[in-house]
Amino acid sequence: MIRTIKPKNARSKRALAKKEARLIENTKTALFVPGSTSNKFLHDAMVDLMALKKPDIKKFTKKNEIRPFEDPSTLEFFSEKNDTSLMVFSSHNKKRPNTLIFTRFFNHKIYDMIELSIQQNHKLLEEFKKITFTVGLKPMFTFNGPAFDNHPVFQHLKSLFLDFFRGEETDLQDVAGLQYIIALSTGEIEDPNSSTLPLLHFRVYKLKSYKSGEKVPRIEIDEIGPRLDFKIGRRLTPAPELEKEAFMKPKQLQAKEKKNVSTDFMGDKVAQIHVGNQDLGKLQTRKMKGLKAKYDQDSEEEVFENDEIEIDEDEEMSEYESANDN
Amino acid sequence: MSDKEYKPVTVDKPIPNTFDLGNLATFDPNPLDNTKLNNEEEKEKHLTEVTRDNVQLLINQILSLPLKTTTDTHGSSTGQDSTMTLVQLPEPTTLLPREKSIPKEKPLTRWQQFALRKGIRSKAKDGKMVYDEETGEWVPKWGYKGKNKEMDNQWLVELNANTKNTEEELIDPRTLKRAERKKLIKKNELQHKRNLKNRA
Repeated sequence: MIRTIKPKNARSKRALAKKEARLIENTKTALFVPGSTSNKFLHDAMVDLMALKKPDIKKFTKKNEIRPFEDPSTLEFFSEKNDTSLMVFSSHNKKRPNTLIFTRFFNHKIYDMIELSIQQNHKLLEEFKKITFTVGLKPMFTFNGPAFDNHPVFQHLKSLFLDFFRGEETDLQDVAGLQYIIALSTGEIEDPNSSTLPLLHFRVYKLKSYKSGEKVPRIEIDEIGPRLDFKIGRRLTPAPELEKEAFMKPKQLQAKEKKNVSTDFMGDKVAQIHVGNQDLGKLQTRKMKGLKAKYDQDSEEEVFENDEIEIDEDEEMSEYESANDN
Repeated sequence: MSDKEYKPVTVDKPIPNTFDLGNLATFDPNPLDNTKLNNEEEKEKHLTEVTRDNVQLLINQILSLPLKTTTDTHGSSTGQDSTMTLVQLPEPTTLLPREKSIPKEKPLTRWQQFALRKGIRSKAKDGKMVYDEETGEWVPKWGYKGKNKEMDNQWLVELNANTKNTEEELIDPRTLKRAERKKLIKKNELQHKRNLKNRA
């Protein structure tokens, strides 16, 4: 835990305010941490992932002696200190070679964690020698395979990769910005009871559009890398209460239900209007002196007591008062 | 040109894809061929084919969304106008966890509670500066050379009638005014602290 400090000047105050929880959240930032057993290849793989995630990245250059599945407290400290909620940690050993650990944080505490070992058939950006990524472009995603819909581990992976690479949340997308696609594929799970899961294939392609004679273009794709095949290792799932809190939607952002307004089958907007009861007693009819309130049958006596008959309506009250005084 | 020259833009799938257009994502529930995936030679080809079909489907969906064309000087160094075609994306449907919990609403301060009860609306802010009629200049209401410190460096000051026959009668009225200001600041700080305490 970082000790809580009271900001002493405007700059540190602003810096702290930036870290505070917000209704509409910023894009999640990823921190890349090399473990003490990291190697050249893992470093290069992380650089490629960084290229995809830019500009929302932070990276460490020094190696860190951490075992995330045994003691994640250091990672939580890093997350809080750097205000990052995604983390990639690299490690390499005999049992789990070339491993990246993808961690997500909620309130700077571990939310979930999954261990992915890169298989031997990898091919990095460098080896493809194709284009590099434009910083800040939103990628498209495709998830191939039914496992992403029904298997908990793959659902986790789907959520993780979407969360990791989707970039800024926006409601307007430039058509020219639809340039590359991240494809995650997995084979069929042959035996649902066995603990071995099929590999996760991570591919990135660039889109090429051709004339099709129709409004939509014919799309062809060209692999630009990185090409990584992941073997799924250990995994940490969030506690149900934590999950519930993390998925909560702020009430303020939910659209208010519009009452009495609907669209009919013709597409016209139809509304129901409620009007209060009309008070017919106050209905304005033709104005005539004889119809004034003071000539009403009930107040007849008073009128005759008071000799002055022609009084302005405004002065009526005061006249009554003076009459009573007499 | 005949239609035969073009490759088709439609894709047939046994089970239709689902889409999350807010995240520009598509989910293909059709299983991949495991025998092809295990074969080193056919694997990449198979993956690319499946992905291509899904990208085509996704692009078809995205381009069918309402389009908006804007003319913007958008990031061009030449300053030339260029038109941009923007797609209006719907809300993302895939739920993703938040980064931090929803911020709690701050409780009302004592004054705000009171104002709410009495129906007092906050005044519109009219700025820090105030017109000084004697010098004909705009001066700050408070702070350095503030209007509330006017009395401090005057050579002659009128005595306040209220202090007559009290122990404050012989004290410099400037000092009294200053002490009063300091007292107000102290009071405000205390109130602020109390509100913070109630918030926690």
